Amino acid sequence: MITARNSMGLIFFPAYDWAISPSHPEREERLLYTQDQLWEEGVFDINGIREFKPDIAVEQDVMRAHFCFPDVARVTTSSHMISAGGAIRAARLVMEGETDRAFALVRPPGHHAMKAVHGNRGFCNINNEAIMIEYIRDHYGRKKIALVDTDCHHGDGSQDMYWHDPDVLYISIHQDGRTLYPGSGFVSEQGGPNARGRTINIPLPPETSEDGFLYTVENMVMPIIDDFKPDLIVNSAGQDNHYTDPITNMNFSAQGYALLNERLAPDIAVLEGGYSIQGALPYVNLGIVLAMAGVDFSHVREPDYNKQAIQQSRQTDDYIKRLTDTVLKSYFDPDPDNSYVDSDGYAVKKKSIFYDTDGIRENQLESIRVCDSCAGVISIESSSSVNELGLGIEIPFAACDICRQEGMRLLEEARESGRYQTVQLINRPLKEYVRL
Amino acid sequence: MLVGIDVGGTHTDAVLLDDRGVVDSFKVVTDHHNLLTSIHEALAAVTKNTDKGAVTRINLSTTLSTNAIVEDRLEDVGVIVSSGPGIDPENFRIGNCYVVIPGSIDHRGTVIKDLDQQELKQAVKRCSTRGVRVFAAVTKFSTRNPDQENEVARHVEELSDFITPGHTISGNLSFPRRVATAYYNSAVWRIYNRFADAIQESIRNLGIEAQLNILKADGGTMPFDLARKLPVESILSGPAASIMGIISLCDITEDSIILDIGGTTTDIAVFASGAPLLERDGVALNAHRTLVRALQNKSIGIGGDSALWVSGDSVKAGPHREGPAMANNGNVPTLVDALNVTGAAACGDTVKSAGGIAELAKKHGLSSDRLAAQAVACAVDTIKKEADALLRRIHERPVYTIHEMLEGTAIVPKKLYIMGGPAQAFSGLLSDTFGMETVTPENYAVANAIGAAVAKTTFDVELFADTCKGLIVVPNLNIRKRTPRSYSVREAREDAKQFLMDYLGALGIGVAESEIEILESSEFKMVQGYHSSGSDIRVKCQVKPGVVMNVHGLT
Repeated sequence: MITARNSMGLIFFPAYDWAISPSHPEREERLLYTQDQLWEEGVFDINGIREFKPDIAVEQDVMRAHFCFPDVARVTTSSHMISAGGAIRAARLVMEGETDRAFALVRPPGHHAMKAVHGNRGFCNINNEAIMIEYIRDHYGRKKIALVDTDCHHGDGSQDMYWHDPDVLYISIHQDGRTLYPGSGFVSEQGGPNARGRTINIPLPPETSEDGFLYTVENMVMPIIDDFKPDLIVNSAGQDNHYTDPITNMNFSAQGYALLNERLAPDIAVLEGGYSIQGALPYVNLGIVLAMAGVDFSHVREPDYNKQAIQQSRQTDDYIKRLTDTVLKSYFDPDPDNSYVDSDGYAVKKKSIFYDTDGIRENQLESIRVCDSCAGVISIESSSSVNELGLGIEIPFAACDICRQEGMRLLEEARESGRYQTVQLINRPLKEYVRL
Repeated sequence: MLVGIDVGGTHTDAVLLDDRGVVDSFKVVTDHHNLLTSIHEALAAVTKNTDKGAVTRINLSTTLSTNAIVEDRLEDVGVIVSSGPGIDPENFRIGNCYVVIPGSIDHRGTVIKDLDQQELKQAVKRCSTRGVRVFAAVTKFSTRNPDQENEVARHVEELSDFITPGHTISGNLSFPRRVATAYYNSAVWRIYNRFADAIQESIRNLGIEAQLNILKADGGTMPFDLARKLPVESILSGPAASIMGIISLCDITEDSIILDIGGTTTDIAVFASGAPLLERDGVALNAHRTLVRALQNKSIGIGGDSALWVSGDSVKAGPHREGPAMANNGNVPTLVDALNVTGAAACGDTVKSAGGIAELAKKHGLSSDRLAAQAVACAVDTIKKEADALLRRIHERPVYTIHEMLEGTAIVPKKLYIMGGPAQAFSGLLSDTFGMETVTPENYAVANAIGAAVAKTTFDVELFADTCKGLIVVPNLNIRKRTPRSYSVREAREDAKQFLMDYLGALGIGVAESEIEILESSEFKMVQGYHSSGSDIRVKCQVKPGVVMNVHGLT
């Protein structure tokens, strides 16, 4: 009988009766062979590993994190509420000490969903990790959280969620945006005016292999996390970096993923992307589960694994080494941000966001109050090809008095102006999440 | 006429039934060193006054295999496994002759690495030189592709008396469980077959020519000839006998809780809409988890003979048993003694109960009445707590479709069925604590034997089809055949049912299609590159478990 060193909760929800559309890669059998592999290996019989059902997220859980336009019901289905609920269950297990660690193997994914949501982009409607993090902060108090996104695609949604939040350190390792969707995630993207250096982007070249990823984690990610000293480490565990993934170009492996997870030692992992459902997912997920549980994973291997064949080039070795200082600097000594326009004590930015899956174009005007005493009140004006102009206001944790008053003032002004189809408020200090 | 024999921990019970109900019954103390004697005695006694020729079926629930495993009276088995990458198979080492051979099959049933013939030959020779005559062959994902297990079986055939290929046990996944189950199967094969020979001779000597079946842990029976090849399926059938018994004695249609209060333990089972629940993964024995299907049943250490003790301020009953109640000439006060003192029961010599309770009470500065009342309350509260925990566990069982997440209804028990010696005495208290109507069926003293007698023959098969490879596999029937790429899940359902009926038919068991139910049926598209390459079809079907008749009252 095998015993896990770290007790672990596995929330396994493959949603066998749901797909984005009949031929979409985010589909019913995505986790089928992973379940076969985990069952055949006897993972659920390991002493200390227990399987759980996901919670079902409710409207409040979503409104705590997002401004959904026109409302939550219109941009979500039960599959999203269950997937987010899986992440919430993982959080509850760990925060309440029922298990040391938790892994939510759920679908659909969420890291491309931004703060304002008009529909589906990058296979995501709502951001599972963000909903989970806001649930944690609402129920268990203010926390410092490191969200490490190892999905092959830049998690532009998660980045947007925490751009202005100095309590949540967002680190994304991804295939360089010049070569892959969503085309963002450059080192220069380092966080908003009140949270400089709390968003860290590490773009890696195509065909980066085990050496590159592990070097990155060891020399760029861990030094930053060690300095930040988070209360919790969350891993957005996307598995599309695998050498067999059909829509990306990296060369990571199951052993690599397991080693990465062992080094990062996340408290909670949430599945993101990964579409090589026969050749990668069963082995990668086995590796991650064993690594997180502290069980020997040295014999986990894909049937066609060939270390030499996927080895990265010398140029890639050098490129990544040279990237180290730039990345570390983005945390320890971030550049000033010139992308915002100063307007009356507010930093303002116009944004245009494309929702590829649904074919929606969104236009945003984002304003954040530049503040020395707190994270600053945020207001987002948003309209799109499917929605009239709407407004979202967020008053952050530990907001100073001025930012709180400003937030309420903006709310009143917005309601009286009659300009907006909906006005939404996230008031974190009062735990109020409303839509008017 | 039907005969049911249940070999229990304390007693062996037998009943004789005709189409109106119980004709005769018999109870004898189980001789654990010679189960055959107990069974023969019970069978002879219960058919004493009947025309032996009228007995058409004998169903037997025995503890032979269970005891052999628990007491480690097992034969050495050559366990030959191949697992390939993943979790190290050393972790699943079992028995004295466990060998890992290089070779590997993936989750699709594709052979990644052929079995190393040299190592296989050497392994078999090594085992054989050590005197091993029975084997188990288990490879990972053999339920998707049994070829490598069959290859091992072929190598071993000449040198062995018996071999269990893992895929013949179950279509369910879990390599570790398959290893343990195949090992146990081979380890009890000889002892079971000797026992089977003796039983069949015993029956012949009595002049009975009946169909002989054994009861399984999932509440269904299995023909004796099949049981000779799969003796592991006979383990832990006791609780199932009890549950099938209550189904037969009562007309259970709602969500209910079933309690069988014995001498040492109380078994708790939950019924959903009148049907017993199955343990999802398979039952555990001797700290090894197996693939043997079982009805969900929780056994707790509270029984009529649970010894009373005082810890601090609280009076407790069980989990230890130190002999029978003082009312029955035991030495320490038990729960039954407490029930006698509270007036809920009048079992045996109540004066002895009063004396024993008084002595214990005095030692701890309590009145007799208080001690007895608290002991009983402790027992009742413990049963309630454990039943609630079981219900919670059932409710939190993982599901994998959105439909089940949203539609899954909670089980809300409406009735409490109580069986066992002290059942009547507990009835009122349990009814209050559970807040439910209680039912104590008549004839519960021999409910186990009745359950064994009336349980239906059951069997289940799993069919896997991969239309990209053009293959159907039914692992436990050893079926592997080609199929056209157009094969659909609808055809798979029909085929699964047909395979099941044909297999049982060949064993002389006629099963109508209406008695077969499809438990699981799914079809997943497989996408290679950008186009659909085929379907992954999975169908699980079984003969509906149940009872052949309801039994009400003694005729």
